[in-house]
Amino acid sequence: MLEIQGLRKVYDGHGRQIEALRDITLTVAAGEIVCVVGPSGCGKTTLLRCIGGLLPTTSGHVRLAGTPVTGPADGLAIVFQEYGRSLFPWLRVADNVALPLRAKGLAKAQRSRLVAEALAAVNLPDAGHAYPWQLSGGMQQRVAIARALAYQPRVLLMDEPFAAVDAQTRADLEDLVRTLWHTTGVTLLFVTHDIDEAVYLGQRVVVLSSSPTHVVEDLAIDLPDERDQLSTRSDPRFVELRTHVYARIKRTETAKPVS
Amino acid sequence: MRRAVGRVALALGLPVVLLVVWWFASAGSQSFYEPPLSRIVAAFPHTWTWARIRGDIAPSVIRLLIGYGLALLLGVAIGVAVGASRWLRSLTEPILEFLRAIPPPVLVPILILISGLGDRTKVLVITVGGIWPILLNTVEGVRGVDEVLADSCRSYRIHGWLRLRTLLLPAASPQIVVGARQALSISIIMMVIGELLGTTNGLGYTVIEFQRGFQIPEMWSGVFVLGLLGVVLTAIFGLLERRVLRWYHAVRAVERSRP
Repeated sequence: MLEIQGLRKVYDGHGRQIEALRDITLTVAAGEIVCVVGPSGCGKTTLLRCIGGLLPTTSGHVRLAGTPVTGPADGLAIVFQEYGRSLFPWLRVADNVALPLRAKGLAKAQRSRLVAEALAAVNLPDAGHAYPWQLSGGMQQRVAIARALAYQPRVLLMDEPFAAVDAQTRADLEDLVRTLWHTTGVTLLFVTHDIDEAVYLGQRVVVLSSSPTHVVEDLAIDLPDERDQLSTRSDPRFVELRTHVYARIKRTETAKPVS
Repeated sequence: MRRAVGRVALALGLPVVLLVVWWFASAGSQSFYEPPLSRIVAAFPHTWTWARIRGDIAPSVIRLLIGYGLALLLGVAIGVAVGASRWLRSLTEPILEFLRAIPPPVLVPILILISGLGDRTKVLVITVGGIWPILLNTVEGVRGVDEVLADSCRSYRIHGWLRLRTLLLPAASPQIVVGARQALSISIIMMVIGELLGTTNGLGYTVIEFQRGFQIPEMWSGVFVLGLLGVVLTAIFGLLERRVLRWYHAVRAVERSRP
């Protein structure tokens, strides 16, 4: 579904070139959930923006269902980390969710049906009339997820979506993502700096090096499909996997060339 | 309720005190040009008759509203176009800075030469004076649209008219309102200036006619009417602002209450 090959991104700023991504190659099959994890500052957000067509790549290519991505692609939705800044504060929740559908040209009846379904799917069936700023951070991120769901994307990109919410909310939202992935069958690429979160959520975990960034490992997560915050996280295999990923990231950090 | 009463009392307190001071300080005045306030007040009923309201205040206010409305329309339209396009901004920035730096009253004789002495010129004078703060603030407002929100729009392929209505204009509205508020007071000034030259009606004209006819208390009463017009228009502006920027003030209040 999603093919990223030899992706390289160099920023040109004030006469100095900064190589954010050196060589990223990874594929995500249809209906798969893949987590990308890496040390902070390794260009995870840059990678996601390149895949989302928000940022031109320097070289290499990104393909969505076989079609090269040259700009924001149809059938792809992004959930950003900054929920407070990705929702329109002047629109009610329902209008926020409906806006991409209006851009798609859907009829009003169909829009309101999709909005109601999406809000119900994120457990906010009655929040349609509220404004985003009247909701808690976790609820706002649910609205952002509902907006992405209502758009009915084939590929959903999530950029550290739960980095700014408290631990309990975060656990709830992680389970919500797994549930929605199951029910919708969407292809999901989830970027995070949290190793536990990556292992808990993913079928695969792609480990990135520190900058200049490349893929150091593409690890299959052989945990049972039914995941649960308590039993999965205490599963010896879970502990083994997260320790492995942690060690890989630590190694790339210490191997960082001094410059 | 009690707080509202308190606020009104505070707002009216100083003007009342000043009027009382003026009343007694000027009570024994023999000066022809500085008559006692009591005589100015006494001049009101026979000066501001219904005929004069219809014949002088109404034309002034209508010209003001048309001129100001045009400034608002053109300022926002040009401002959005310039703010949304980097090359247009680079192209027009020096010219805008130059035009803004010209004191608008200087343009009055030129406008009279070009467009004559009619109502059209008086409206143009108001528009030419009021457009700059609106235009420049709109440019800044559109330029300052939140990146995450703009990215959300791009990734959901929200373009054109829908983007203008749901992203650019609301996002820039706090800045546009700042410009519109400045423009309102400039417009009132320009309204009077436009009426000082070659007119036969209007508030500014009336005040000048009283001065030339040595009807000094009547002249002072005209100055009062101009001031009151400003107060009323500012109050109406405030009401509209509260409606348009309801979301903005609410978001600010939420942000202030969070640590």
